[in-house]
Amino acid sequence: MVTSLLRGLVFGVLLAAAGAASSQADNAKIRVDDAWARRAVMIRSTDANAFTGTGAVYATLVNAGAKGDALLSVTTDAASVAEIHETFQEGGLSRMREVTRIDVAPGKKVELKPGGYHVMLINLTRDLKAGETIQVTLMFQNAGRIAVTAQIR
Amino acid sequence: MATRFFRFAAVLLVGGLLAATTGAAGSAELKSGVFKPARPAPALSLRGSDGTELTLSRYRGKVVALGFGYTTCPDVCPTTLAYLAQAREKLGPAGKDMQVVYITVDPERDSAERLKAYLAGFDPTFIGGTGTPEQLAEVRKAYGIVVARENVPGSKTAYWVHHSSFVYLIDRAGNLRALLPFGVKVEDIAHDVKALLGD
Repeated sequence: MVTSLLRGLVFGVLLAAAGAASSQADNAKIRVDDAWARRAVMIRSTDANAFTGTGAVYATLVNAGAKGDALLSVTTDAASVAEIHETFQEGGLSRMREVTRIDVAPGKKVELKPGGYHVMLINLTRDLKAGETIQVTLMFQNAGRIAVTAQIR
Repeated sequence: MATRFFRFAAVLLVGGLLAATTGAAGSAELKSGVFKPARPAPALSLRGSDGTELTLSRYRGKVVALGFGYTTCPDVCPTTLAYLAQAREKLGPAGKDMQVVYITVDPERDSAERLKAYLAGFDPTFIGGTGTPEQLAEVRKAYGIVVARENVPGSKTAYWVHHSSFVYLIDRAGNLRALLPFGVKVEDIAHDVKALLGD
């Protein structure tokens, strides 16, 4: 009886591990490489409601799978809000627009970099000091949540 | 006879080298777009982030990198300021004669104190400029800087100010010499500042 119980336990553990492994495999199809954040100062003032500043996070999104995916949203504890934006040049100005998704086609990669796509951090909760790191969680349509450590430069 | 020949050749060589290095003042070879002929940088008088009057004549004798932006800008301004800070660092001791001046396009939010805190994150020597909307509009007109405000209802940022993102290089004599486009490489900024410092 003990042996069958043990066998059941081992089987159960293996099944759970297989389940965990397959969701890892799903996540592994999308990679977030070289995540980094620009250094920034949290602008403090005596007014508790004052806006504390913005920041930017960049990375390379790599879709190593056979199915398209898309970055939908981002959260971080370094700011109250994070949005996805794109900088572009038009009429002699640098402009910016919020984007609701960044599609990453199968086998392709998309770069978030200065002057292009970036994660805009709104209302910093801390200084972003060069050499330190922040935690950022990216939410993908298919892959779900991917948490990364962004190096501050 | 051979020694006389070699002495003559040495004089020629040294003379040639001297001629090559003593170019006319204002002949620096720059990587970025140049102003030809160089013309005086339009004067300005604004409220400096250090609490004093900000004028360009204050920095006569230094090379000034003049840019426009605002503290709520998440990508373009931090990138520009980070690159300028890196270029200044690259110059080593010569960097003490490079002065970055950043003028706000958002006077509603960017007080002198706010500019000071923001710029300190990039380099403690950077100076910001603010003033009344009218004063700042005048400076932008003189420098060909375009802005466009966009309200963002429901966002903590309330509005963005899209703006021209190039940077002017002004030489030690106070003349406009070069225009650095957004995204210009750090080594090219350092190269041009160094060239103007040696001019």
